Amino acid sequence: MLLEVRRLTKRFGGVAAADDLSFDVEEGSITALIGPNGAGKTTVFNLISGFLRPDHGEIRFAKRRLEGRRGDIVARSGLVRTFQTPRVLTRMSVLDNLLLAAQDQPGERLGLGWIMPRRVARREREIHARALEMLDLVRLRHVSDQYAGALSGGQRKLVEFARALMVMPRMILLDEPMAGVLPALVLQLLDHVQDLRDHRGVTVFLIEHDMDVVMSVSDRVIVMDEGRLIADGPPQAIQNDDRVIEAYLGPAAQSESSGKGPRETPRG
Amino acid sequence: MDVFNPAFWTFVAIMAGIYVVLALGLYVQFSLAGLPNFGHVAFMAVAAYTMAILVVRAAMPLPVAAIFGLVAAVALGCLLGIPSVRLRADYLAIASVAAGEMVRYLATNLSWLTGGPLGSVGLLGPARFVSYNAGWQDLLDRLSRALSSVLGSAATPDRAMLLVVWSLAGALLWVFRRLERSPWGRVLRAIREDETAATAVGKHVAAFKLQALLLGAALGGLAGLLLAWQIGVFSPNDFEPTLTFYAYLILIFGGMNRLWAIPVGAAVFSLLYTGTQFLTFFPLSLVDSGSRAFLRLFSVGFLLVLFMMIRPQGLLGNRRELLLEK
Ligand SMILES: Nc1ncnc2c1ncn2[C@@H]1O[C@H](COP(=O)(O)OP(=O)(O)O)[C@@H](O)[C@H]1O
Ligand SMILES: [Mg+2]
Repeated sequence: MLLEVRRLTKRFGGVAAADDLSFDVEEGSITALIGPNGAGKTTVFNLISGFLRPDHGEIRFAKRRLEGRRGDIVARSGLVRTFQTPRVLTRMSVLDNLLLAAQDQPGERLGLGWIMPRRVARREREIHARALEMLDLVRLRHVSDQYAGALSGGQRKLVEFARALMVMPRMILLDEPMAGVLPALVLQLLDHVQDLRDHRGVTVFLIEHDMDVVMSVSDRVIVMDEGRLIADGPPQAIQNDDRVIEAYLGPAAQSESSGKGPRETPRG
Repeated sequence: MDVFNPAFWTFVAIMAGIYVVLALGLYVQFSLAGLPNFGHVAFMAVAAYTMAILVVRAAMPLPVAAIFGLVAAVALGCLLGIPSVRLRADYLAIASVAAGEMVRYLATNLSWLTGGPLGSVGLLGPARFVSYNAGWQDLLDRLSRALSSVLGSAATPDRAMLLVVWSLAGALLWVFRRLERSPWGRVLRAIREDETAATAVGKHVAAFKLQALLLGAALGGLAGLLLAWQIGVFSPNDFEPTLTFYAYLILIFGGMNRLWAIPVGAAVFSLLYTGTQFLTFFPLSLVDSGSRAFLRLFSVGFLLVLFMMIRPQGLLGNRRELLLEK
């Protein structure tokens, strides 16, 4: 197991946003995390990626303990996340947004640009080539010189996706990557996500509301409600799980909708 | 003061060069890394006092004392930065205001160390007037003699100072321009835009912020040393909080995120600041000099407000950049 989460708990005042959660994410899988709004999905991502400190519990990534580590250390260890509301660097160009995310640029050390200018320049050329490749991937090369702040919400999501890939992650956490992205691009993005796994060996862990997307792309689905894990299994099993249907539609709807599976919920 | 006296304009130009170094320090902290430092003047004061005290009391050679002055400014930067770079930006803002004022109060009240309100001349007590500046005057004399083989009688110690200050300012602008465009500068700009995003791609935000803060502190310290050498004697009143705001004005005039706008901003500021001294003609001559001083500050403020309404992006800034949403 690439990621092992054990008894993870986080409370905000009286609310347990993560309540004694245990689950695994297998290396090379595409795993979806679903649940109604406010279920605690983003909180789980924040805990795993080092942006929140858990109250209890353990997180292991590639056998290394991760809980309570700084976010930048988690990212450098190969576990990279994106945000539900995209966080682009507005007054920097789209290209700079990507260049920033590359690792192993000695020029980021103060003064090393003077000591080893050739190595810095060589790495900069590599990074640049890769950034253009990523921009092609998300079809944003034509705006590479624009300020990222001038992009639409959907485009920002794509910039963030491409930026996360620049880090060369071993596992990527995508928080609602398709929300706000043009439907035509969603299919492409799905292809990329699958391609990431199939050809680059990247493990994908994603929060997604669109059930069609979840069912078609994921190998495994983890369902949360009110901070607790209520189901965990292959998509077909989840689709017919009573507790899942109940969580999504309420007990009353259960009988009429059984077999149809949970529908898309409003986004938060 | 005579508008047509070249010595006066040499003085104005030297001060403008010192302001460039001062504002560059703030640029690295605020424009590059997004660190709100409202006590920049403290770095100047600490460096100047350390240098003067070591020269006068420890009879240290000037260059060594100057290095200790810079070290002291950087140490103050550590004191301010290490607890606050991990916290939200407002903490540094408040701590830096306090530091600026504290340094001035300490300088005023620790008479046994600093000469008290009397300033540098009272370093060995009020009865013994002393100067830290002999070494610097020496240097300028030698430099102006060397220059006189090229410039003839035009080479004066004042002009040597002008040359020193602006060469230094130019060199530093060049160095920091390169740093800004390096991958290091890219990380700092990213932190200014969004710390969380920078963390998410693996950048240790606090470490980068501390680097920017300390570099800025060293530049502030250098500006303090240059000011001390230029004015020859100083007292706590030479390090008023307004100096920090002059540095901000220079950044605003030039265009907040434009490094090459700093010398432009410094020139405009110096002209405005000294220029308003000459508002003595009719009908202003009817007003007594005390009210004129007030009028002068008022007019600087008024022009600034007017300027911000007409060109919020500064002289060389980019208006579109200003309008981008987060
Ligand atoms: N930083 C926070 N402070 C206080 N409460 C929070 C915080 N983050 C999340 N919560 C609360 O935790 C619960 C889960 O939120 P979240 O993880 O964003 O849910 P989801 O992503 O599944 O929609 C919600 O009740 C939310 O209000
Ligand atoms: Mg969420």
